[in-house]
Amino acid sequence: MSQPHHRRIGETVLKVDDISLRFGGVRAITGVSFEIRQGEIFSIIGPNGAGKTSMLNVINGFYHPQEGTITYKGTVRRRMRPHEAALTGIARTFQNVALFRGMTTLDNIMTGRLLRMHGPLIRGVHRLGAAGVLLRPIAAGIDFVFDLAFWGPAQREEIRHREVVERIIDFLEIQAIRKVPVGRLPYGLQKRVELGRALAMQPDLLLLDEPMAGMNVEEKEDMSRFVLDVNDEFGTTIALIEHDMGVVMDISDRVVVLDYGRKIAEGKPDEVRSNPDVIKAYLGEAH
Amino acid sequence: MTAADVAPAETFPGLLEHNARIRGARPAIREKDYGIWQTWTWREVHDEVRIMASGLAALGLKRGDTLVIIGDNRPQLYWAMVAAQALGAVPVPVYQDAAANEMQYVLDHAEARFAVVEDQEQVDKLLEIKARCPKLEAVIYRDPRGLRHYPQPFLHSLAKLEAMGREHMKEHPDFYDAEVAKAKGGDTAIMLYTSGTTGQPKGVVLTFDNIVKMARMSVELEGLTDRDETLSYLPMAWVGDNMFSLGQTYVAGFCINCPESTATVMQDLREIGPTYFFAPPPIFQNILTQVLIRIEDASWIKRRLFHSFMKVARRVGSDILTRKPVPLGQRLLYWLGELLVYGPLKNTLGFSRMRLVYTAGEAIGPDIFNFFRSIGVPMKQLYGQTEATVFITVQPHDQVRLDTVGVPCPGVELKLDSNGEVLYRSAGVFKEYFKNPSATAETKTADGWVHTGDAGILDRDGHLKIVDRAKDVGRLKNGALFAPKYLENKLKFFPSIKEAVTFGADRDYATAMISINLDAVGNWAEKRNLPYSSYQELAAKPEVYELIKSGVEQVNRDLAQDKDLAGSQIKRFVLLHKELDADDGELTRTRKVRRRFVAEKYADIVAALYGGKDSVHVEAKVSFEDGRTGTLKADLKIADAAVVTAAPPARALAA
Repeated sequence: MSQPHHRRIGETVLKVDDISLRFGGVRAITGVSFEIRQGEIFSIIGPNGAGKTSMLNVINGFYHPQEGTITYKGTVRRRMRPHEAALTGIARTFQNVALFRGMTTLDNIMTGRLLRMHGPLIRGVHRLGAAGVLLRPIAAGIDFVFDLAFWGPAQREEIRHREVVERIIDFLEIQAIRKVPVGRLPYGLQKRVELGRALAMQPDLLLLDEPMAGMNVEEKEDMSRFVLDVNDEFGTTIALIEHDMGVVMDISDRVVVLDYGRKIAEGKPDEVRSNPDVIKAYLGEAH
Repeated sequence: MTAADVAPAETFPGLLEHNARIRGARPAIREKDYGIWQTWTWREVHDEVRIMASGLAALGLKRGDTLVIIGDNRPQLYWAMVAAQALGAVPVPVYQDAAANEMQYVLDHAEARFAVVEDQEQVDKLLEIKARCPKLEAVIYRDPRGLRHYPQPFLHSLAKLEAMGREHMKEHPDFYDAEVAKAKGGDTAIMLYTSGTTGQPKGVVLTFDNIVKMARMSVELEGLTDRDETLSYLPMAWVGDNMFSLGQTYVAGFCINCPESTATVMQDLREIGPTYFFAPPPIFQNILTQVLIRIEDASWIKRRLFHSFMKVARRVGSDILTRKPVPLGQRLLYWLGELLVYGPLKNTLGFSRMRLVYTAGEAIGPDIFNFFRSIGVPMKQLYGQTEATVFITVQPHDQVRLDTVGVPCPGVELKLDSNGEVLYRSAGVFKEYFKNPSATAETKTADGWVHTGDAGILDRDGHLKIVDRAKDVGRLKNGALFAPKYLENKLKFFPSIKEAVTFGADRDYATAMISINLDAVGNWAEKRNLPYSSYQELAAKPEVYELIKSGVEQVNRDLAQDKDLAGSQIKRFVLLHKELDADDGELTRTRKVRRRFVAEKYADIVAALYGGKDSVHVEAKVSFEDGRTGTLKADLKIADAAVVTAAPPARALAA
């Protein structure tokens, strides 16, 4: 992976400020702050139980921290629900693959488009703002009939979404499994399909929870290349959690290290690698 | 090759112009992209090639230059070949899975100035060897993904090349046509590097005449028309793909289809349903294995239907295919089978419309061959070489046989020399090996005959039978022909035999060392309640000896049918106490038997096979998978097999 990087890293897109998260008496995260900048690959690492996944869950609104604020695209928020996060352009994958096992690869990735699927009438009515509130049920009803008949605008819309999805399938090189139910796929490919579904949302910020967990070396290499290519081709900002230090150091622009819910280091991979606190946390000295 | 006796249309750019004129709106090539089959008509291909050729000219490609093509089967890569030819440059397709240093040899030897490649993978390989290929000036890539930030000034995207081409066309509107008109049939059309088993690969130079004449011959022979369809999925660097996807397509005007990716070939095959198809035996083997596995997983009704109708198919399918008389009852049953089993099966595989199916490259197993023919897939064998521009012999439709490769194609002369080597002469005979006159002289005689390096025999109907590599063929003491690989292949077609090594050169009779197939024989033993605890014990069972003996005797009966090979029937054989293994040096990594090594390692056994003893004690070193070695001791029984007496072996091979 020696390809030269000339990507533009921009302004801060997400700012996490002094976040603390408790479950009853358990402190999952304590006073953590960091910033993720536009267009970068940002990694959150740390030993087991350090609070990495909790941090991701806070970012996409799944957990609500007791203290601290999150500023996303300039808007400060304390409480947000996951689907609102999705609407504002945050997509994620899960540590344990969370796909619809009985559905095909294609259909799974199509579900990533759901938030962007509106009937043509309801879209028009939404544009009217508050004035159109009364019209909404009627518009939705007519759209529903169009959908049922798969006719006219409904068909055109489906084709438009399918095109986006086909580009993702091409991008991730999963043409051969397009029509295979994901339950029949090996784990490494399921992970790739999950990435595909997140990409289908065309997110601004992509959260990846251990995208390479349980993979063999070759699958890890492939996935690393896809992460880099997503960032490169679409300019997507990526925040990822990963255990494999080799991978993290290779592909990340910046890294933050958590241990016992606290931030112990932050910086470029090389700086973090040589940080004595990080070495201590990872080698498990005198806990 | 005498040049200038053919019209300019006898080149690929000329044929393209012809096709664009007479069937401009017909599909020429398709590629599945973003899940949809994209089509280009002949007129569109003509335009694309013109643009690409102009772009290459603008970049500086000149008459006589070479241009390498690396990638999967993609329309743009095929066009790049014809675009280069239009300028009088020579395209050299390279195997896309070759490692960088293997590519370096070809690029260096061919003195390539330009490369047109598919994607980042190939660009990376070329960047790795660029410093060692001083002649390489420009690399053009089709797929920009991942390449956006590569700073090298000699890298160009195809889009950029096309923009340059359009610009060039504005300034020089007559350039392309003038260049195309300069080409002659005797000019070099293409150079193909053969993956030599020994030494460095050799660059086989083929002229337009070679390819176009052989394509024309085969199109007429098989009745291919512009309504045919084929799938282009075999490597572009292989001569066969050049014949099928370029030669025959441009001559007959039919449409080729490029798969979406190498992993989707089987799905794409089904969607296209080609009428004309080529595959080497391992691909058919894979398809058959897939079918059998899926059938075992199917519901019992489907399973029963499949197995009972396959019985019908095996009985009469091949005869129905060749229009031989079949009793009405059987014919009706077969028709019902077509409705319920064969038809749906062929549809699932994409074989419904096939009317010409070639296989070649190596011996095909009888079960595979018979399976496809019995369900109505008109499979037949051909024998060819890069140096022959593919075609040497083909089986006529009504004379398809398992053990021959057919009769010489129209215009192909064939002869066997005194040691059985096959020689041919035809319009397809290559011009030379590039920059290698000594190899050319060794292979091609002054009067145009080419040594194939294969030993063969002609049967009484004039069918060629390839028996072995000529250098491996020997003779028994009594002068009878001994072709070890031919015997070994025949033995290995029995599922219970995994590997076989035969001996007989300069001996009184032929013998065989056989290692059994543990899965197949183990299954067979379980069904018969034969207990065994190890490979060694199983191989020593008298019942297993009887099983293998029946196979050996079957081979002997087959051999007796053939006057040249009747003398090499296997008189004695032994079942080895272990499988032949590459780790023990007995096989190559590609699972070919290292006959000489085995003969030395098991000299005791060989001595016993010829010594008349009925058992032999062996101690052999074995390597375990974890790297440890141990010694295996065994007493092996030596068995006799019945030999069928036939007419005394004739010294019939002398030409």
